[in-house]
Amino acid sequence: MTDSFKMDNVPFSLLDESEQALVSANLDLGYFQQGEKIIAAGEVPEGVHVILKGKVRESEAGDEQQHVFVHYENEDYFGGWSALRGRAIHDFIADEETICHILPTRILLELMQSNALFADYFQQDFTVKSEIAAQHGKGQDMAEFMLSKITSATIREPLVVEQGTSIREATRLMRENKADCVLARKGGRYGMVTGTDLLDAVVLKELDLDGDVAEIASYRLVTADPDDYLFNALVMMTQQQIERVVVMSGQSMLGVVELTDVLSYFSSHSHVIGIRIERASSIADLREAAQGLNDLIKALISTGVKIRFTMDLLAAMNGRIIAKLFDLVIPADMQPHVCLIVMGSEGRGEQIMKTDQDNALIYRDGLSWSTMQKTMASFSEQLISFGFPPCPGNIMVSNPEWVNSVGDWTQKLSDWAETCEGEAQMKLAIAVDAKPVAGNQALFKVARNWFLRHLRNNDVFFSHFARAAIEFDTPLTFFGNIKDKSELDIKKGGIFPIVHGVRTLALEHRILSTNTYKRIEALIEAGQMHEKDGKEIAEALSLFVQLRLRQQMRRVEESEDGFDPTPNLIELERLNKMERDLLRDALQVVKSFKKHLTLRYHLGG
Amino acid sequence: MIIPRTIRRFQDRRTHRNGPWAALFEAYGGDEVVSLDCETTSLDVNRAEILSIGAVRIQGTKVKTSDRLDLRLKPPQSLSGESIKVHKIRASDLSDGIEIEEAMDLLLNFIGNRPILGYYVNYDIRVIDKFLRPVYGFGLPNKAIELSHVYHDIIKWKHVGGDIDLRFDTIASKLDIPIIQRHTALGDAITVALMYVRLKHGQAPVSTH
Repeated sequence: MTDSFKMDNVPFSLLDESEQALVSANLDLGYFQQGEKIIAAGEVPEGVHVILKGKVRESEAGDEQQHVFVHYENEDYFGGWSALRGRAIHDFIADEETICHILPTRILLELMQSNALFADYFQQDFTVKSEIAAQHGKGQDMAEFMLSKITSATIREPLVVEQGTSIREATRLMRENKADCVLARKGGRYGMVTGTDLLDAVVLKELDLDGDVAEIASYRLVTADPDDYLFNALVMMTQQQIERVVVMSGQSMLGVVELTDVLSYFSSHSHVIGIRIERASSIADLREAAQGLNDLIKALISTGVKIRFTMDLLAAMNGRIIAKLFDLVIPADMQPHVCLIVMGSEGRGEQIMKTDQDNALIYRDGLSWSTMQKTMASFSEQLISFGFPPCPGNIMVSNPEWVNSVGDWTQKLSDWAETCEGEAQMKLAIAVDAKPVAGNQALFKVARNWFLRHLRNNDVFFSHFARAAIEFDTPLTFFGNIKDKSELDIKKGGIFPIVHGVRTLALEHRILSTNTYKRIEALIEAGQMHEKDGKEIAEALSLFVQLRLRQQMRRVEESEDGFDPTPNLIELERLNKMERDLLRDALQVVKSFKKHLTLRYHLGG
Repeated sequence: MIIPRTIRRFQDRRTHRNGPWAALFEAYGGDEVVSLDCETTSLDVNRAEILSIGAVRIQGTKVKTSDRLDLRLKPPQSLSGESIKVHKIRASDLSDGIEIEEAMDLLLNFIGNRPILGYYVNYDIRVIDKFLRPVYGFGLPNKAIELSHVYHDIIKWKHVGGDIDLRFDTIASKLDIPIIQRHTALGDAITVALMYVRLKHGQAPVSTH
């Protein structure tokens, strides 16, 4: 068209002359007022928008207050993904008056067909531009894989039989239909019967072949929405160690997605770590899978996948790795007598980069296992070799202090709760975020429930415990701006006060979840927190984590040894203005939350 | 003889409403506007020769640059040193240009009966009419929209006293519109189109002296 459209910018520079001519012959210009929705979520976008002048934000559909994913400025382009998918998932809103070049979807598709390099580049989410340039195509599979919906995999038509169908008949039908599971309808409910269930019923339980198949079905179905990410289905299957998810749209059943189908869909993606973890049969296999996690994290973050989602996934993955290692290292006859717990951020499921391992072992009172400590030491050793750094506070199972019988463990918890000394409080804070990952979970639950009862109505304890949350200043000036320093410690300034404050409230109200977001949800449900406040706190936390993560990733990449010495540092000059504004608002939320805690636990003065 | 354009349009319409170009004379009912600009050899209509014509359609808030007219004409005899300085178009740049008759035909088909928008649009219309009338027997019948008037009508409410600066570059900078390829017909037509869309759909610009 004119020189106002810069063909020199990637990805358009990847086009040859005639392709560039095609682009310039088909560009339109659009003018958008401030606040105008350029592309609304759910709508069919006109095409790729390239900003000539102005600023655009990409945010979650609906509410204006929603989280902003990306800002686009001059010469940036957006809407490519939406154009390719056919519908936008997010809102694209003009932050200021904006003039955009618009390249129609039809032309975009034409170009992607004729130019493979251009297609590769365009299928990326736009925030990853630089990363792709660096690792060329490696992350691309991930992006694709991350954003596939369940509907894009094979949803199998389920084989449904009525209550009263015999086991023999059900088996015959399964064989005829080449299905490996059958749904039995009993009243209005569906129950799943798998091949394994049939075998168990007939061979082990020696049920009659004419027995009712509905009797052996399991009715607690794991379901997913058809519009959910396929990836979520994989997470569910990995977490719950199942092989099928029933796809439900509202009340109606659409079909079944099987693990094998998900896997075959992803089979071209060699990085799918979950599968590799499951298949690992030796420690060496597992180590390789664990080391792949970092790439996964990177791909997830760079594609702008929601931070909570990333954390959920990684918590599930890390949990699986540890559980698998537990299986490989701990002798089978000892497994029912011990319980491995993870604590701290891992216990909360909020770990993103593999930070230090915080774990402990609880064993049955009176267990005699002479080589226990030696086994534990090698367990920690292996985890370190998987890339989970050792805990600087030595909170791991190789340290005998963290290998306790149920009785000793509860004793320790109550001892810590009674001293107001800093280290004990810190240990307690770590320990109350514990989550069992392997072994006999009942051991852990006994100890936890005892401790929660023990704390009931102990106001003095809660007052002491909460104090840590207000210990660090919020880095805001009197006038509510970010203190004018070039950097800030986001853990002290934002993350810790929220996490610890929510932890205290959760402990007081005996909420069993350990994840901060789930705790907030539970507190809202219990009427202990206003819904609006809870949401704000959760959003603020997400923002802190996201900003921190982005800077961490960059530092890890820049450093030679792949290690970031200052993981909690936020360099303010690396944020754009909008991010700084968001950060400021989020810190205000922290400030008022701290005020609330001060009143609640009488911490004033 | 100088006859006001309105009267000429009225006469033209009576003469041609049953002719092959009748569609041009029908009242326009759509919401599109065509932004038009010509580069000429002179600012005097009588001496001016057309060097190039640029036009784009405006549809709501969109400037349809994908559907545009960018015509270069054969170099006229009068291409002088003066206009070369203004337009930076030399005879050699125009060597593969088209004839004026062909240009007029393409132009009429492009504009149809849509209103014409321009910056000092009457000048462009008069120059085009000069070449159109001998061949077709009529001048451009379309409604004309003058960008500087649109700008003036909006800005005057914001502006206390004094004259309003109506220079092209001033308007563009007041409206915060990037100037696209200044001194090419198409570039100016697009810039004018953007200014128009901005004025019609955006907030009134804040006037500062």
